[in-house]
Amino acid sequence: MFLQQLVNGISVGGIYALIASGYALIYSLLGFSNWAHGEVAMLGAYVALLFTASLQLPFIAAAIIGIGGAAIISFLNERLAYRRIRENKAPTMFLMIAAMGLSIVFQNGSMLLFGAKFQKFPPIMPVSSISIGSVHVGVLDLLTLAVAAVALIVLEIVITKTKFGLGIRAIASNTATAGLLGINTNKMFALVFAIAGALAGMAGVLLGLKYNVYPTMGNIGLKAFIASVFGGLGSVRGAIVGAIVIGVTEVMVSGYLSSGLRDLITFALLIIILLIKPSGLMGVSVEEKA
Amino acid sequence: MKKLLMVLLVLSIALTAFAAGKQEKQAADDTIRIGYVSALSGDTALWGQAGLNGMIMTAEKINAAGGVLGKQIEVIGLDGRGDPMDSVNAYNKLIDEYKVVAVVGTNFSSCNIPIAAVSDVKKVPVIATAASNDLVTVDEKGKLHPYSFRLCFIDSFQGGKMAEYMLDKGVKTAAILTNIGDSYSVGVSEYTIAAFKAGGGTIVAAEEANSGDNDFRAQLSKIAKSKPEVLFIPWIYNDVSLISKQARELGLKCQFVGFDGWDSMELPTLAEGALEGAVFCSRPGFSTPEAKAYGVEYQAKFNIGLEAECLYGNDGILWLAQVIEEAGSYDPEAIRAGLENTTFFDGLLGEMENDPLTHNPKRELAIFTIKGADEVFVEMYN
Repeated sequence: MFLQQLVNGISVGGIYALIASGYALIYSLLGFSNWAHGEVAMLGAYVALLFTASLQLPFIAAAIIGIGGAAIISFLNERLAYRRIRENKAPTMFLMIAAMGLSIVFQNGSMLLFGAKFQKFPPIMPVSSISIGSVHVGVLDLLTLAVAAVALIVLEIVITKTKFGLGIRAIASNTATAGLLGINTNKMFALVFAIAGALAGMAGVLLGLKYNVYPTMGNIGLKAFIASVFGGLGSVRGAIVGAIVIGVTEVMVSGYLSSGLRDLITFALLIIILLIKPSGLMGVSVEEKA
Repeated sequence: MKKLLMVLLVLSIALTAFAAGKQEKQAADDTIRIGYVSALSGDTALWGQAGLNGMIMTAEKINAAGGVLGKQIEVIGLDGRGDPMDSVNAYNKLIDEYKVVAVVGTNFSSCNIPIAAVSDVKKVPVIATAASNDLVTVDEKGKLHPYSFRLCFIDSFQGGKMAEYMLDKGVKTAAILTNIGDSYSVGVSEYTIAAFKAGGGTIVAAEEANSGDNDFRAQLSKIAKSKPEVLFIPWIYNDVSLISKQARELGLKCQFVGFDGWDSMELPTLAEGALEGAVFCSRPGFSTPEAKAYGVEYQAKFNIGLEAECLYGNDGILWLAQVIEEAGSYDPEAIRAGLENTTFFDGLLGEMENDPLTHNPKRELAIFTIKGADEVFVEMYN
């Protein structure tokens, strides 16, 4: 029973982690929470769905197009909305408001475009779960975890080991100085948004596989946001740890106490962490948290 | 540039005011206005739109046949977004601004419970469609809301009946998963548990979750451990598809049993086979020839998927038309009395009788089972 619940919790956390890492990545550069991030995941799922449903593409091809689509949408968000605001030297608050606006536009736009009904991907696997002793593991959950793990490890390597990653870290540390040292900040911002978008798209497709595709599915972004605050805003590693902790906590509380207490305990945990360590589990700066 | 924007802004405000003003004008003398409230946008707009379409289509037919009391019927639909506060606002707006004589809607108990309280004061009858919680027509102290009616059977009725049906089938142990965020689910669960226990059955697990959770494996793991013969799932169809799939993934092999929240033709496809052999109760839907013919006409007109909610729209407006004809008046007070004393109304949802003490209709339950991609009608159960 405990093992089963642990497995359940980790698989919930895996999805949170994919979205939370995107929040963290963007926060580390621009110092604002990109509220439209969950909706980018939703749009990625819809793009993939359109390609499987109308063009009859095999799922993998459609999923890759969905991920690419989400990356492009995220890139366009930065190019068309956020960049103008940044260049106007407007306060970070403006970026956040713009992100909220985008989120509402995307959610309602897709409702108009695709309708409110729940849609699903064609089944991609014949077997739905594997049993190991008394523990049942969904094949889809294994796939989700594997994809999330690979994507997050690649992201970690890119950030810590490559010249591009060094550039990101330089901008995160001080945008103006990094610019003076010859880093093309606009290009870096665009790339980071595209990467975050791709991660969101991946999460969107996986979420769609597990929980169907619908216009408000991006609301899961809120949980992912909490995970990234929990782990320390701006820290990708922290966001991943935060996501797993939140996923496992939720499942354990629903499993052993009561579902009614689930969110209460999750948020109480968040408040306690923030009281003890205001920058989150692995965060570095204490400035503006939202 | 800024000036141009200002001009555009002023123009758009003026236009909105003009448009609103145009609609607000009183109904002409030769029309009777009937309102409709439901979710016309959002996750559940699928049903809200179907209800409105049904009302509009039937109103057009009534009008083509000469109308009611020689007057034309005009349907005015407002979006309550499936939200209690927005729905109450929509009900008020229909009465204050559009001067409707009666309102049909919504399909959610959570919206109709507050509307019922407001109707006590506004004194304009409201006919809920699929809102099946007891409190929609009778308050917590057992006092009747005189202006609140409904078309569907109530939660206690289907909860109790479905528990009896399973006991009749020889089932001894059952588990139940309740949506604690939804008064519909809580209501159905309460009566299912009570009736199942009263009939000699044992509830081996009663778990709770919230809509929007998407992941129910924590609760389902506990249910699986208790090894029930059946699992009652009083949820709305999207959640039902997720719950059933996750339950099968966790190795839960029992039969699934549902209620009218399952009544969507998309459910078997969404559940991808996880609901094979599951049973649920609902209205007869499109299984009768009359309803089938209506469905064909509906699809030809609107070119969208069929949802049973359009039959509610039809029955709501037909019931009102029958009452207005019989009373010879479309005064809200006369309509109220007529609805209350209806002993026979035959709509597309079958024959019904209104109980004047509780405003709950007496109806038969239709039992369906899921086979492949279809919901197959099994029998009427009384």
